[in-house]
Amino acid sequence: MMLSQTVKELEKTARQIRRDIITMIYQAGDGHPGPSLSCADLVTALYFAVMNVEPADPHWPRRDRLILSKGHACPAVYAALARKGYFDAAELPRLRSLGSILQGHPDMLKTPGIDFSSGSLGNGISAGLGMALAARISGLDYHTYVICGDGELQEGIVWEAAMAAKRYQVGNLTVLVDYNGVQSGGRIEEISGLEPLVPKWEAFGWHCQEIDGHDFTEILTAIAEAKAVPDRPSVIAARTVKGKGVSFIENNNAWHKRVPTREEWEQAMKELGAED
Amino acid sequence: MQYSSTREAFINSLTELAGRNRKIVLVCADSAKVIRADGFADRFPERFIDVGIAEQNAVACASGMASCGLVPFVATYAGFITMRACEQVRTFAAYPNLNVKMVGANGGIGAGEREGVTHQFFEDLGILRTIPGVTIVVPADASQVGKAVEVIADIPGPAYIRIGSGRDPVVFDEDLPFELGKIRILKAYGEDVAVFVNGHAIPRALAAAEGLKALGIKAMVVEVHTLKPLDSEAIADVLKLTGAAVTVEDHNIIGGLGSAVAEVIAERAPVPLSRIGIEDRFPESGDAEQLMDAYGLSVDDIMDACRRAVGRKERRSS
Repeated sequence: MMLSQTVKELEKTARQIRRDIITMIYQAGDGHPGPSLSCADLVTALYFAVMNVEPADPHWPRRDRLILSKGHACPAVYAALARKGYFDAAELPRLRSLGSILQGHPDMLKTPGIDFSSGSLGNGISAGLGMALAARISGLDYHTYVICGDGELQEGIVWEAAMAAKRYQVGNLTVLVDYNGVQSGGRIEEISGLEPLVPKWEAFGWHCQEIDGHDFTEILTAIAEAKAVPDRPSVIAARTVKGKGVSFIENNNAWHKRVPTREEWEQAMKELGAED
Repeated sequence: MQYSSTREAFINSLTELAGRNRKIVLVCADSAKVIRADGFADRFPERFIDVGIAEQNAVACASGMASCGLVPFVATYAGFITMRACEQVRTFAAYPNLNVKMVGANGGIGAGEREGVTHQFFEDLGILRTIPGVTIVVPADASQVGKAVEVIADIPGPAYIRIGSGRDPVVFDEDLPFELGKIRILKAYGEDVAVFVNGHAIPRALAAAEGLKALGIKAMVVEVHTLKPLDSEAIADVLKLTGAAVTVEDHNIIGGLGSAVAEVIAERAPVPLSRIGIEDRFPESGDAEQLMDAYGLSVDDIMDACRRAVGRKERRSS
């Protein structure tokens, strides 16, 4: 197992991940920049400071699992997997191209390191519950993480899974909500109300925390606390900014799905510290 | 007619398997009573998961388990798996080719019978047939279900087993084996017409073939218990022998056995075909045998269809 990165190193890695996100979408000519940048710090923290994984052995049975329930943000995970050594970063520009290992949404059969296919929203927590139960049934001590968008919490299956996870007391399941307040069509509260979010999860019997989803100290502390709860699933509502890290993408929902021009790409690289 | 329970046959077979195979898990959606799961739950409490009235969650959760090497069987009513949780079946069980086994009760109007349309599922097979990579079997009766469960547990990938009401006609001798993916000739009075059939409609097809014999039409009754992978070659061979075909199924005539055989006919062995089944309409509550008679699956309906198919064959050749 590789040593965990310090907060400073994580910040640097996250800038690399963000550059990879923008560059692969620019080169591939397709993808979702806003949603990917939003969860980039959560993904970075998990792969570079939390999860017990073996990039050389992606199917290692004892590994911690991650499901990216908001599968359209996969450029963030693809970048992390490449930088972690699951595959060559030269694959990244092949995103969404015919024959690529990097599908438009995560495919567990095609991409080394993807633990579960995703892209149809709302399903990740259910699958994560299955993984958490499988750990118990198989006598393994791995932890399952699920990154959800806040918008996808509108799906009914999320709450089906929330009830069952409480009933089965899966302390080995942690859900991180990428809580940026915006979905494809606009502001969540204007489309179908999600609030009050944290009390909803509390009412479903989960261990709840609310943090700044771009602050590595808060992310790592919250995950450690979640893991320490033995008999309840945990949710971490991580407040994020959609498009975080690139000024003209932040909070601009036109970038939910959009490809940068050459000038925009150059500007983004400058802001993301290409000199790192 | 003798009856036994396909539901009990399923759970008995699964419980026995679970004793030998620690990877077997039963996932219910408040369906434990439906599939008589008490014995399994008592013996293997840690491998009995009931997620409540939440079929989408049941299938996605089972897919998560399967991704970690377990062999979950999701068992509830056929339509709640194939319709309520259709996308989970397609995207999270089938697309990643996971070892998720699905068992659908009340398959057909004769199984849903008095419950009415909400619990009569005659579209399950058509829906699943369009999803790549799902093995689909329609065992004839309880003893065949027990054997099919063993076979399905052993093959990799997603699979669906259709079961009935719990009061299901006994069709075959208990010792008859179940061979996945192979058609079976049940009766060969001759080669005038092939009657392709599966599930609890088989006794009706056999009775029709016997009735036709008295009228001088010699039918060949062929069981097609595996709809996917379809034994297309053997079906084409039968079609070339008989030159006329009838399909009989407790399912919409669109999408199931009738469509599957029609596809083989169109591409490999063009012959006249008449399809017997639910004629693309909603049924109603009623006694199983009366319902099937009322909705186009009577022995007379099957005999008429055979006569039509044979008549069209003769007109073609004259």
